[in-house]
Amino acid sequence: MNWRKKLGEPQAYLYCLPALVPYTIFWLAPMGYVMYLSFMEWDFINPVKEFVGIENYVKLFQDQKFYKALRVSLLFALGNVIPCLAGGLLLALLLHSRIKGLAIYRTLIFLPWVTPMVAVSIVWAWIFEPRVGLANAVLEFFGFAGLEWTHSSKTALLAVLIVTVWKGLGWTMVFYLVALQNIPEHLYEAAMLEGANKFQQLIKITLPLVSPTTFFLFLITTIDSVQAYDQINVLTQGGPAGATRTLLYLYYESAFQRFEVGEASSVAVVMIVILAIISSLSMYVSRRRIHYV
Amino acid sequence: MNATAVLYKTKRWTFTAIKYVLVIAFCVIMAFPFFWMVSNALKTNDEIWAVPPVLWSADPSWSNFIEAWNAAPFGLYMFNSVFTATSIVVIQLINSSMISYALTHMRFPPGRFILVMIIVTYMLPVSATYLSGYVILSRMGLLDTYAGLIISNSVTIFGIFLLRQAFLQVPKEMVEAAKVDGCGHWRILWYIMVPLTRSTLIVMGLLSFIAMYNNYFWPMLITKNPKLQLVSAGLRSFFIEGGAYGLKWPLIMAASTFTILPLVILFLIAQKWLIKGVNSAQSINK
Repeated sequence: MNWRKKLGEPQAYLYCLPALVPYTIFWLAPMGYVMYLSFMEWDFINPVKEFVGIENYVKLFQDQKFYKALRVSLLFALGNVIPCLAGGLLLALLLHSRIKGLAIYRTLIFLPWVTPMVAVSIVWAWIFEPRVGLANAVLEFFGFAGLEWTHSSKTALLAVLIVTVWKGLGWTMVFYLVALQNIPEHLYEAAMLEGANKFQQLIKITLPLVSPTTFFLFLITTIDSVQAYDQINVLTQGGPAGATRTLLYLYYESAFQRFEVGEASSVAVVMIVILAIISSLSMYVSRRRIHYV
Repeated sequence: MNATAVLYKTKRWTFTAIKYVLVIAFCVIMAFPFFWMVSNALKTNDEIWAVPPVLWSADPSWSNFIEAWNAAPFGLYMFNSVFTATSIVVIQLINSSMISYALTHMRFPPGRFILVMIIVTYMLPVSATYLSGYVILSRMGLLDTYAGLIISNSVTIFGIFLLRQAFLQVPKEMVEAAKVDGCGHWRILWYIMVPLTRSTLIVMGLLSFIAMYNNYFWPMLITKNPKLQLVSAGLRSFFIEGGAYGLKWPLIMAASTFTILPLVILFLIAQKWLIKGVNSAQSINK
């Protein structure tokens, strides 16, 4: 009797199946399988996979390319997450403060998020064209020297980041807008009565009360940063000289261009482990430090 | 009026002015690439290489759009995208509703475990599984098929969260009352839960549709047949092949324009739903 209670209604299992079957085949199984493959040497074609133990990892951790990709990934994540969160909050604060034409601004700022990354990256590739592109025309108009953008290893990552942040900003802004609307007005009234100025109100009321949103957006944007592919593929293909080769791009190249399944799998496992650490750390921090209304 | 009042007013006015300047500057930056795309789609080959750049063509060549449309099978690409995205959304709406119902309104203790498992995998990079997913899909003989494209994308963890959250808001008493009246789970799900959470379902469908229409990396890996390409992959091949790289920029811009257009229209129609939906999406982490 007791175990029947624990198992619940038999019908519930049927209701879970249509989602859990594809979930198992295309999420769970590949997660396990990629870990298995990371101990193998294989090229997709050979009927026999050769077991090589931890050799793929040993090679990976001795490879300069891996450390470079790790650094690029980290820079990319920071360069995406920080501007998206700070910019999104700033925009939301500006739009939240009784402004005429809110709906128009919101639509314009959110629009890039809706459009295909490949298409807008192509448009940006043209904007970044060093000789006749718009970006350099603007820089030169303001008296700066033009840049090589995606053609130079110094600026390529910056170019990719500009596109990524441009596209992601509207998403974070909309989330912050909703969060700001949910803060009870009377908190600000009380603060004003006690003589707190706008800046103090921002630090003591707004920021703590939007912290659940910040946490949520931090997580989502970090996960997206690690997985950024489309814009890199269109704009730089990991180059020049590996300047935009993130871990994900390294994994893509070794899997689908060099067919080194084992090596690629070990990179995939490293990515999974890194995100698992980041996610659990931020969950842990959020449990202790985040204020819910 | 005394001096302090004047000072206060000037200060407030300055703040307002700065605010508007900032917001409008931001909007211009966000929207300008779209303007630039259309403007460059209309330029002649001379204008496009002009220094400094021409803002708007003196003689807009609207025929560029027709030429670009005919240069590659864009109609087919768009059909592929719309068809697979729609099928995926329909499947996702059904299977997410079912599992969310089981997780929220059925007596189902293992649901807790399923939920935690799903949350954990949500925080891991799904693209890390593309390599092994590719091998699995090829074993199933589903590479280069619509079925493969659709089935492999048929689960949305984000959607399940969103719906579960919405279903939790439906009072237990309502479900109990329906049960007393002799309704089975199936009827409760489709006649009570789904109509009550309509707005969340719409948002979820929209977000999924946008993501799937735009999808590039995974579909590109699992379809090599050019006839099965989605718009993003099709546009990218047009960009690279066809001698287009660096030569036919007006045509590339024209092609980008009509690739983006369906989504822009969809967004303008549906934006009030999308923005509403964010409200419910927020509570995922609670």
